[in-house]
Amino acid sequence: MIRGEAHVATDCQTIQEILTEHGGGLDRLDEAESRHLEACPDCLEVAAAEQALGLLFARAIPPADPVVEASVLAALRPARIRRRIVAFLPVAASLVVALLGAVMVGGVPGSGILGLLPEWSAQGWMAFATSVSDWGTAVATGARAAASTLDPAFLAAAGLVSFFGLVGVAVTALRWRRISLWRNDR
Amino acid sequence: MTEKTTPLSDERLVELSLDGDEEAFGILVRRYQRRLAAFLSQLVGDMELARELSQEAFVRAWSALERFDPKYRFSTWLFRIAHNLGIDQLRRRRLQTMPLYRTDSEGDEVEVVVTDLDKDPLGHLENRVLASELRQVIDGLRPEYRELVLLRHFAGLSYQEIADFMEMPLGTVKNKLFRAHSVLRKALADFL
Repeated sequence: MIRGEAHVATDCQTIQEILTEHGGGLDRLDEAESRHLEACPDCLEVAAAEQALGLLFARAIPPADPVVEASVLAALRPARIRRRIVAFLPVAASLVVALLGAVMVGGVPGSGILGLLPEWSAQGWMAFATSVSDWGTAVATGARAAASTLDPAFLAAAGLVSFFGLVGVAVTALRWRRISLWRNDR
Repeated sequence: MTEKTTPLSDERLVELSLDGDEEAFGILVRRYQRRLAAFLSQLVGDMELARELSQEAFVRAWSALERFDPKYRFSTWLFRIAHNLGIDQLRRRRLQTMPLYRTDSEGDEVEVVVTDLDKDPLGHLENRVLASELRQVIDGLRPEYRELVLLRHFAGLSYQEIADFMEMPLGTVKNKLFRAHSVLRKALADFL
């Protein structure tokens, strides 16, 4: 409480709340509050005590421990490997899908692999290409062609690969959308 | 990458970490390791356990970095992970022990924390009397004050960050911390 300064309207509690919030920092007070402080021993005492309290808590923070830091970084390694695998999965799935597509269309021209490909690899896609103007026909033709030319196990595997490829693309898109949001937010 | 020239902001380091820069996350670990250990050691009352939990908190943060919401500060997010780990640990410990209570200066019952001196969170302080007094005063605070004091002085969060963290109005945080500091100033008067 101010002694002999009844005309100063600023309340002690307001000033002490500011001092508490800012570790006794006097630079946070405006002109009227600073004048109050100069005339108020209670608030001055709180300012000094808050500064000392801040120093006391700073001393209570333990020193950096290089062993802990090293163990934290070492513990990150398995998570880091998992992250890399997860990040590579969509790329790997896309590559597999692309490779399957290439094989089904006819393989790589001039490659020795071409001779190893069964004849059916191009038939279904040829039928698919001729019907492409009508998507309904195209899908039905493609499905029929695939069903008649491809092994069911192969079809199921290709379907699974395509599904995981799509999931991978969606996950990647979501990840980059988040990173993009993060960048644009700042 | 080093911090020798211009310190990079947390936001930039998170961005680099997301781009695969592992050393950027290492800088975040160095930046927050001390405060995280201090915060957790006060929360769980055991420095060794706090070190383990801080390690776990960093690993969880790294694993979940892609889910980090950029509208919050990295420090707030990291301390929330640590806080949840600490609370889980306390819950597990409470299942195994019978808590003791005593009456505090405001007439409320507070849990008595029996400290193992070998694992004292303030064991690094040279002044043993100060360490003992500070430990008693912090442990003796009402839980609602204690948590805010830990977040303010050990986690180093601002009042606004604490309000976000605790999901309480800023005015309430100010009021509670003002009251908590009044208790602290009185109890630690000999050291101020």
